[in-house]
Amino acid sequence: MRYLPFISFLISLLACSSPYTKMQKISRDAGCVQKFRPAFDGTLYNTKVDVVGKHLSGLLLIKTMPDSSTRIVFTSEIGFKFFDFGFSHDSGFKIYYILKQMDKKAVIKTLRKDFELIMMYNIPMQDAYVLKNKENYYYYAFPQEKGINYYIIDSACSQLLSMERSSKRKVVVEAVMQQYHNGLPDTIGITHKNFNFTIGLKRLEKK
Amino acid sequence: MCKRIFLSIVLLYGFFAKAQYPGYTLLTNSTVFKEQFAAASLKTNTIQSDFVQEKNLSMLSEKIVSKGKFWFKKENFVRMEYNQPFKYLMILNNGKVYIKDAQKENTVSSASNKLFRQINNILIDCMKGSALNNPDFTARIFEGRQAFLLELSPTATNLKDFFQHINIIVDKKDYTATSIEMYEPGGDNTVIHFTNKQLNSTIPDALFTIH
Repeated sequence: MRYLPFISFLISLLACSSPYTKMQKISRDAGCVQKFRPAFDGTLYNTKVDVVGKHLSGLLLIKTMPDSSTRIVFTSEIGFKFFDFGFSHDSGFKIYYILKQMDKKAVIKTLRKDFELIMMYNIPMQDAYVLKNKENYYYYAFPQEKGINYYIIDSACSQLLSMERSSKRKVVVEAVMQQYHNGLPDTIGITHKNFNFTIGLKRLEKK
Repeated sequence: MCKRIFLSIVLLYGFFAKAQYPGYTLLTNSTVFKEQFAAASLKTNTIQSDFVQEKNLSMLSEKIVSKGKFWFKKENFVRMEYNQPFKYLMILNNGKVYIKDAQKENTVSSASNKLFRQINNILIDCMKGSALNNPDFTARIFEGRQAFLLELSPTATNLKDFFQHINIIVDKKDYTATSIEMYEPGGDNTVIHFTNKQLNSTIPDALFTIH
């Protein structure tokens, strides 16, 4: 019984420890990640957003522009635009439009980081390193201004298993891109770990 | 001198109005149109049609096209059922809005949300023929060979964020809307075309029931 405070302290320390610290840093070409970078070309997704008990649905259009920047437009099914963002590979970000009710710094920052993660923006190869876990999965790590973006890929570099954005201590966002067809994922899922916020995308055939 | 200036202004205004919508001329006296529009609307109790919606994203040179079925019943019932390329249902029922997407359903009272109420009213007004009486908009009426064009410009500040103007194309044959064009301040627009229209067919109330 007298060890209880010590055990509790140990458990809390373990709970706080980063899941990445136990992984082994290895030498591996980080360029493997590039093959999973989606080439969005006016791709349309049916979109569901659940945020702290509120549900929102609509259509998300992602298009690579001739100058290699990417535009993401989210509209409701009946045509009302929620936002229109532009991303460029030099960490550039432009808000072309955002609905007044959504025009909040925290909302914009969260969405920007989420989309940068799945579009694989801001992943300079010179800063990258690779970790390997016990299951033989490779964590391709790309340090960001704050936190790190991880792309978790199998040993043969044939499958992107998931993506994570982490703070120093824990995973903040988990994302998946699955069922690739012609270089584009049919489903995309983004789940926030520190608050109740999920985004689900299902690819639609444009008529 | 004053007469000349006035005449020039009128001519210039007419010229620009004409140039704005090719094939249409601004009606300087809209009394007859308003009377005929109101009379025809009185006779229309239900409208059933197919629709094609086009969302045009001008800067992206992209178009999102969706299709579905539309029902209207006097006074305040609308059902829009999107079938392609996604499933989505919206029912307007006396101030309530019911929405069902692929995952969830939700009912919102437009009484508690001013913006919802205003947008709700636009659709109902377009069908009921009362669009010209909506205090949230000022209207100009243009006449073409086969249709009238009602240009609604928002006066309410919150609606100006969404719409530069809304055009309703009204068929001269039956004075019902053949399309609704919503123009956004940024240059994008959404156009809903109504096809295979059936007027005054029997539409069961159950179609507008909100559970």
